[in-house]
Amino acid sequence: MQYEAPQTLDAAVALLADARGAARVLAGGTDLLVQLRSGAIEPDLVVDIKRIDELKKITAEDGGYRIGAAVSGAELGEHEGVRALWPGVVEATELIGSTQVQGRATMAGNLCNASPAADSVPAMVAADATARIVGPDGVRDTSVRDVATGPGQTSLGRGEIVVSIFLPARPARSGDAYLRFIPRTEMDIAVVGAAVSVSLDDEGTCVAARVSLGAVAARVLLVDEGARVLIGTKLDDDALQALAAAASAACSPINDKRGTIEFRTDVAGVLARRAAQTAFERAKG
Amino acid sequence: MNQVDTSPNAIPNVNLRQVGKNKPRNDSPTKVYGKAIYAGDLIMDDMLFAKVLHSDRACADIKSIDVSVAKTLPGVHSVLTADDLPATNAVMTDMPGQVGGGTKNTKQPILAKERVRFYGEPIALVAAESYELAQRALDLIVVDYEDTEGVYDAFDAQKPDAPIVYGNDNIVAAYKVRKGDIEKGFQEADFVLENTYSSQYQEQAFLEPEAAVAWVDEHDILNIRSSTQVVEHFRAVADALGMPHNKVHLQAPYVGGGFGGKEVMTIEVWLALLAMDAQRPVKLKQTRENSFISHGPRHPFTITHKTGVTKDGKITAAKITLTSDAGAYAKLSPYILLYATVGATGPYRVDNLWIDSTSAATNNLPTCAYRGFGTMQATTACEAQMEELSKLIGLDSLEFRRKNFIQTGDPNATGQIIRSAVWSDQCATKAREALGDKPKSTEHTVYGHGLACYQQSYGRIRWMKDTSESWVGLEMDGTLIVRCAVTDIGAGQMSALAQIAGEVLGVPMEEITVYFGDGHVNPLAGTSTASRALYMTGKATELAAKNVRNNLFECMAEYFDVRPEELDLGDSKVFVQDNPERCMSVKDMAKHCAAQGVHRHSLEIYRAPPSEGLDPETGQGEVFPDFTYGAHAATVAVDTDTGEVTVIKSVGAHDVGQSINRQAVEGQIEGSALMGQGFALSEELILEKGVLKNGSFSEYLIPTSEDVPEIESIILESRSGLGPFGSKGIGEPVFSPVAASIVNAVADAIGTRIHHLPLTPEKVLTAINEEKTKEAAE
Repeated sequence: MQYEAPQTLDAAVALLADARGAARVLAGGTDLLVQLRSGAIEPDLVVDIKRIDELKKITAEDGGYRIGAAVSGAELGEHEGVRALWPGVVEATELIGSTQVQGRATMAGNLCNASPAADSVPAMVAADATARIVGPDGVRDTSVRDVATGPGQTSLGRGEIVVSIFLPARPARSGDAYLRFIPRTEMDIAVVGAAVSVSLDDEGTCVAARVSLGAVAARVLLVDEGARVLIGTKLDDDALQALAAAASAACSPINDKRGTIEFRTDVAGVLARRAAQTAFERAKG
Repeated sequence: MNQVDTSPNAIPNVNLRQVGKNKPRNDSPTKVYGKAIYAGDLIMDDMLFAKVLHSDRACADIKSIDVSVAKTLPGVHSVLTADDLPATNAVMTDMPGQVGGGTKNTKQPILAKERVRFYGEPIALVAAESYELAQRALDLIVVDYEDTEGVYDAFDAQKPDAPIVYGNDNIVAAYKVRKGDIEKGFQEADFVLENTYSSQYQEQAFLEPEAAVAWVDEHDILNIRSSTQVVEHFRAVADALGMPHNKVHLQAPYVGGGFGGKEVMTIEVWLALLAMDAQRPVKLKQTRENSFISHGPRHPFTITHKTGVTKDGKITAAKITLTSDAGAYAKLSPYILLYATVGATGPYRVDNLWIDSTSAATNNLPTCAYRGFGTMQATTACEAQMEELSKLIGLDSLEFRRKNFIQTGDPNATGQIIRSAVWSDQCATKAREALGDKPKSTEHTVYGHGLACYQQSYGRIRWMKDTSESWVGLEMDGTLIVRCAVTDIGAGQMSALAQIAGEVLGVPMEEITVYFGDGHVNPLAGTSTASRALYMTGKATELAAKNVRNNLFECMAEYFDVRPEELDLGDSKVFVQDNPERCMSVKDMAKHCAAQGVHRHSLEIYRAPPSEGLDPETGQGEVFPDFTYGAHAATVAVDTDTGEVTVIKSVGAHDVGQSINRQAVEGQIEGSALMGQGFALSEELILEKGVLKNGSFSEYLIPTSEDVPEIESIILESRSGLGPFGSKGIGEPVFSPVAASIVNAVADAIGTRIHHLPLTPEKVLTAINEEKTKEAAE
């Protein structure tokens, strides 16, 4: 196995595009190294992107933030601007693994690992985040929703790298939140994850919402019906009840040792409701 | 917070200088600075690395094993299958240690020959220049299996047409207790309650997976340095290889946790075979994933209690059946079943008693020793039943327990008269008080309090005639040495001996050197199992130190012109009790006594009280040296929408007899609070037709540091135990009631009981929803 740590993006793309066998991008490595050591993958080339300066930055852009693909969860968590604008995305990223894992794990890596249970992805989907992808054919931006196409599968072409995640600007009186269910406090894969983002008008009525669920389908879901039932309400009990029902209805999970279909479906509604309440409180300020 | 009980039945006038104090352990610095050497740390010249081929199926005939290609791989030095082994191909898995009798002689094949009986059964061993090469060799071994019909349930295994895994009928062990008049007892009852409780597999999850290095030295002695609880395995290794016992030298450096998982032989015999075959040092450090299948997890038990009580709360009769899943080989299952049988009635007096217990073989993972050793599973069921009984008759659950607690002088389930203090009531009262008021329910959170008591033995089964030896010596410069082959598995076994010897001989524990864990250099001390290490090795050390003191006092009495009993030792001085000005430093005393030819060393043996076994028809007899009593209490919060249980407070209150090192006692209580929490809430090995489905730490969920609740240790000291200074064993006792208290707290919170552990969120949510439906219907 060949290991390369180029210092420029062009070099990284060239290495990946020219790779003869299987190639992998290494950011934090919290998924990749585990897969390597267990023998689950045997790539011929690993390209470490942590030496590429531009991928290690968080930059303000158009009222939002661009998060470099090599920015760790710990670095993101210490960024006050991102925390203030998208607290739900930060809390989701900070739920990945443990304190030690946080020192390495990245949002972009979490996205590209393409696990349906990835913690940061529902929060990014609720935030309507965009992934910037660089490859042999140049630069393209795509919704984070379209990066993972199924468990372990992405839409990335040969030689393509997700170089940053863009979290957009948002109106005042907006808030987001992410909640995850696992049977213990940390270090586990989500049984269910739910993210909600809302914007309110001056009266406190919800004017925009996005609801996203993780670990309840082959891909992270965007639940349009969940958003629809919140818009125009002040997130009263009826609206929250309708949200829970919509969230549960959207689920098509699997039965496995982490949870049954029934439990996941049930808890998805509970978490969506609670995440919406927190997002609402944050939006009210 | 700690409390020392000053009840009148504590022995008064105890004047201890070091014992019972909160002292840093002697092993702390080396561990904190990362200097402590563990078995897997040893590196030797020419060392090879081993890998083991484990069966990937639970029940199959082996048609053939082809190792021909694996053997030709350059750098591979040894490939062994059953065909290469001594014809017996068997290793003892029975009670190891310094035992004189009573073993069941249950042997297990070292490598599977014509058949595999469980998932993970070892088939072939490889030693090569690197782990990677050894793995490549394993990948080149071709095993031709033919799956056969297995049995995966302890009840199915007892059916007449069940596939036979063990013996003629799959029955690994059975006991019965017949005491009093069960029918009369039930007639006297106002209420009879019957419930079945069951519990799951639990993995020991010690920090250090199995590791060892084996080599043959220049004297043709086979040396093994291993992470084991038992250095006396050298005998079983020698027997397995057909070697004389004195040609196998097994030593244990610091061990990174055992909890019973390193009680029976794990990897030692494999390395012994490879080192003998390759004639080079061979190392094996198990991966975590292989560790899951390299030792036996906790036995799942199904326990049915039928109990008769009067409306005043007196138990009149109990009929109890216990069934455990032994897995494919017996290992320690017969003994674990016996512990569960004795523990079935908990710390309660039941005069009309009927118990049937059975351990059945299946094609599941062989189950084995795990902290609590059957008593814990029995306690979990018994305490659930106690809680349900008190609810049934409308009595406070502690009040109900008080009416039935065994008292000193009472017989327990097997008719053994309890001679030490029984402070169940004091412990339970203090534990419950410490919980304080129950928090008020909120929108989707309900709270519960739970209590559990126990009776847990310390010391091994009496007809095994357990012994321990220790050597204490005063050097010429006044420093002390203790030699005792106790294995230090992380609980402070080594440090405790320094504290005990130092107490007797008046020298600070920090200045004492203890040589431990090496059975051919130090006197054999027996196992660090069964909550017996401190009890037995501590007692032997206390006795040896007292012998030395007697010798020194005889000489020094002459010097001071007093009688020996007028002397005392403390603060590194010998002095006349009535006139401490008349003194001499221990250093000068050592020199003086040496000049007089005084014997400044002593090797002493401590023998546990023996017995001759149980009456097979009535199950009556003396099984254990003594018992520890206490209680654990817990407060939990339950999320009624998700079923998630959070332990908020966990309190252990135990009569430890005499704490030797308070820090170490607190460490045991705190560690067991977490281990019991894992058992109650999240830990469960999942087997599908015998195949392990979650053998890794990402799938098998032990509590993490984030799950630690507020833990309070309440230490009571009756000074009535058999151990040094009246201590009792605590390693297992403090653990046995924890899960039960959490389970009872959850039942209190949600108003209904879940009978099968662990209490996963899904089970709790289902129970809550069922209860809601039931209430709605009413």
